[in-house]
Amino acid sequence: MTVIDRADTAIEVPIVDSPPDEQPVAWNHRHLLDVDVLSWADIELVMHTTDAMREVLARPIAKVPALRGRNVTILFYEASTRTRVSFEVAAKNLSADVVNIAAATSSVTKGESLIDTVRTVEALGAQMLVIRHPASGAPYLAAETFGGSVLNGGDGWHAHPTQALLDLYTLRSRFAGGSLTGRKIVILGDVLHSRVARSNLWTLTAAGADVWLCGPATLLRGFEAWAIRGAAAGVRFHVTTSIAEALRGADAVMALRIQKERMAAGLLPSLREYAARYGLTRERLALARPEAFVMHPGPMNEGVEIAPDVAAGSQSLIEEQVRNGVAVRMALLYLLAGVRPR
Amino acid sequence: MTGSAAAIGIAEGEIGAVVADLEISRAWLVDPATRREGPGEIVVSDGVLEAVTWLDADEVSGIDERGVVVAPGFVDLHAHFREPGNEDAETIETGLAAAGHGGFTTVCLMPNTTPPLDDPTVLARIRAAALASGSPVRALAFGAVTAGRNGEALAALGELADAGVVGFSDDGAGVPSASLVRNALAYAGALGLPLVDHAEDAAQTAGAEANDGYVATVLGLRGWPAAAEETAVARDLAVLAEVVRDVPAARLHLTHLSTAGALDLVRRAKAAGLPVTCDVTPHHLALSDEWLAGARRWAWDADANPWADREATIVAAPYASSLRVNPPLRSPADAAACREALLDGTADAIATDHAPHAAVDKDVEFGLAANGISGLETALGLVLAVVDAGLLPLTRAIEALTAGPARVLGTGWGDRPSPGLVEGAPADLVVFDRAESWTVTPDALASRGKNSPLLGRELAGRVLLTVAAGRLAFEAGS
Repeated sequence: MTVIDRADTAIEVPIVDSPPDEQPVAWNHRHLLDVDVLSWADIELVMHTTDAMREVLARPIAKVPALRGRNVTILFYEASTRTRVSFEVAAKNLSADVVNIAAATSSVTKGESLIDTVRTVEALGAQMLVIRHPASGAPYLAAETFGGSVLNGGDGWHAHPTQALLDLYTLRSRFAGGSLTGRKIVILGDVLHSRVARSNLWTLTAAGADVWLCGPATLLRGFEAWAIRGAAAGVRFHVTTSIAEALRGADAVMALRIQKERMAAGLLPSLREYAARYGLTRERLALARPEAFVMHPGPMNEGVEIAPDVAAGSQSLIEEQVRNGVAVRMALLYLLAGVRPR
Repeated sequence: MTGSAAAIGIAEGEIGAVVADLEISRAWLVDPATRREGPGEIVVSDGVLEAVTWLDADEVSGIDERGVVVAPGFVDLHAHFREPGNEDAETIETGLAAAGHGGFTTVCLMPNTTPPLDDPTVLARIRAAALASGSPVRALAFGAVTAGRNGEALAALGELADAGVVGFSDDGAGVPSASLVRNALAYAGALGLPLVDHAEDAAQTAGAEANDGYVATVLGLRGWPAAAEETAVARDLAVLAEVVRDVPAARLHLTHLSTAGALDLVRRAKAAGLPVTCDVTPHHLALSDEWLAGARRWAWDADANPWADREATIVAAPYASSLRVNPPLRSPADAAACREALLDGTADAIATDHAPHAAVDKDVEFGLAANGISGLETALGLVLAVVDAGLLPLTRAIEALTAGPARVLGTGWGDRPSPGLVEGAPADLVVFDRAESWTVTPDALASRGKNSPLLGRELAGRVLLTVAAGRLAFEAGS
C-alpha cells in the first residue's frame, strides 16, 4: 500500500438520497476488487458514507431511491447466506433491481465459462455485478469483461473487501475517538485459507492497528515472510503460534472459521485438538483487555473456533458486524454507482 | 537497423524452397563450433553455406554485436505441438512456422499428445505432418517413458528408439517413482538415449497455482514449493549415481529447472562427474512471480517489494492466466540462479517449453487455466533482454541455444555437424537484428497458441531470416 496521507483532506460525504452520479464525491474506482488499492482517503469516504447509510437504516422506511432503475446482479459461485443476503438487502435499500444467480462451480470442462456467464448477465441488463468465487483473482477476470462495476464478494483465499471494510467500520464505531492507532487486534485461526484475514491485514494496518495473526503453524504458512517483506509496503504485523502471546492485552479478537477439509489435508490433527489449543474461550479471552471486543466473520463453528458463551457474550460484536455489513455494502454500491461506466 | 546497415540479399523464395543465392555482409557472426565471433560475411549458394569470411575487426568500423547477428539455427529441446489430439492449440505445421519465426531450425517435441507418443505410429504421423507442412525445420521427438504416460510401466522404449526418437520423457508430469527412474535410465541408457525428466513431486504440488512465496501468499494462490522440484531432482540424481555403475551410458537430462536449489544439486552432481545435463527456459530467466501481482519489470530489476511503490511497479491487472506455467514463475532470486547456471555451465541449454493453448483453456480463472506459455517466438527476445542487461554474454546465449542442446541430444542429434558456421555444409542459420524491435501481438505470432504474457510488449531482436538445412524456414516480411 502506498504511504497514506493522513492530512485532513475534507471528505465530502454524499447526501445519499439522491442519485450518486449527481454527487461531487471524489471516488474514482470503477470496481471494488481488493482493498489494497484503496487510499486512506478512499477508506475514510467509505466510512463516512456508511455513517450516512446507517442513518438511512434508522429511518422508519429504510429505503432511498438512489439506485432506482439500476440492475445489481449477484453472482455467487460459492454457498453463502450472510454475504449474499447482505448485498441483496443493501441493493434493495437503495431501490436497485436485484438479480440473484447461484452458479455451480465454474469449470473449463463443464458448462459455461466465467467470461461467458459475465457476458450473459451483462446482456440481461446487469449494471453492477457482485461476484463470489472459489478461485482467487476471479473478479479480476470478470472485471476485464464486464462493462459496469464489479464488486468482489469474496474470491478464494484472496480478498473479501466488504468484510474488511465492515470490520473496520465496526471497530471504529467502538473505539474511543474512532481510531485504531496502536490498538492490538488479533486475527485467530485459519489464516492461510482466509480471504477475511488477508483483506483485514491491508485495512487494519492502514488504520494503524497493531495486528497479530495467530494460529497453528500449518495455517500460518507464508505469513511470517509476508510480515518481513510487507513492512516495506506499509503492512506491518506480527505472527505467532502462541495464543497467550497473541491475546495478552488485545483490544479485539477476530476468530476465523475452521473448515473440516483442513483435517483431511493433514493440516490439523483434529477439530478437538484445534478447539483445545486455539478455541476462543472465556478463560483465554481473559488474557485480553477487560473490554476487548470479539468478532467473527461467520458462519461460526461454535465450540470449535469460538465458545458459544463468547460468541453471544457482552463483548461480542458479531451481530453488529452483520448489521454494519448492510450499511457498508450500501455505501460501496452507492459510491461505485457514481462512477461513469466506460 | 544499425547505423551502418548490414547488407542482406534476401532469397525471396517460398518457405521450404532451397536458398539459391544469399549474401550477408557487414554482420556480426557468432560461431559456437569454433568459439569465434566477429564481423564478417557469409554466402549461401544452392542451400550450401559456401563462404564464411571473417573480417579484421580493426579494419572494419561500425559492425558490432549490437546490430545484425548471424548464428547457427537454434535448437529447442522442449516444445509441445499438440498434434495429434489438440490441434486447436497447435499443429505440426503452425508449430514449425512458429519455430522458424523464432529462429529455430530444430525442435524436439514432447510426447504428451493425445494419444501420446508411446508408439512408433504416432512418430510416423508427426513426421508425415512435418513433411506435408513444407517447413524445413527439423521436428525431432521424445518418446514417452511409460506406456500411455500413466507413470506405471515402461513404454516400448526399444521400438521407439528404433523408430528414431531422441530420448524419453513423460513431460507434463514427472516420472513418479524412483524405481521407474532407475529402470528408465538403465534401459534408455543402453539404447544410447537420455531420460528427460520433468522434475516435480506431484504430492507437493496437488492444486498448486503459484510459486510458494510472498507473492502467492498475498494473492491467496496455492503455493507451489521449490522443494517439489528439488526433491525430485535429488531423487533422480541419487538413482543416476547408482545406475551409472551398471550402465555407464545412462544419461539424465532435467528440463525446465527453475529453482536455485535444483540448479545447485545439478552443479554438485556435475562436479562429481555424473552424466547429467539440464536446461532452463527463457521465461524463468527473465520473468519472476511478481508478474502475477501485475508487475512487468524484468526479474533483475525486481529488487523491491512490488507493493511498496505500487503506482510505479504494478502496471497490469493481477492474476493474468498467461503467466500460469509449470514450473511456475519463481522468485527473482531463482531467476538469478537460472542465469548464473547458464554462466557457469551448470545449465547446458535454453529450452522454450513452448506450450501453446487454445483461448478456451487460458481465458479462465487463474487456478483453472492450463499451464504453459507459447514460447518459441519470444525466446530470442527474452534471452536478448538478459544479454542487453549485461547479465549474459551474447556468445554464451547463442551457445545455449545451439551447440549446448545439440550436445544434450548426443546420438539423438545424429551424424549432423554440431551447430556452427561451417563452410560447405547445408546452410542452417538464423539472422536477427538486435537493433530492431517488434511488438508481440496475437497476429505477429505464427503459433496458434497466443498465450503469451508478453503480448503488447516490445522485444528487441527481430528475426530477419531463418534457413534450415539449406531451405528457407522464415523470412521477415514474407
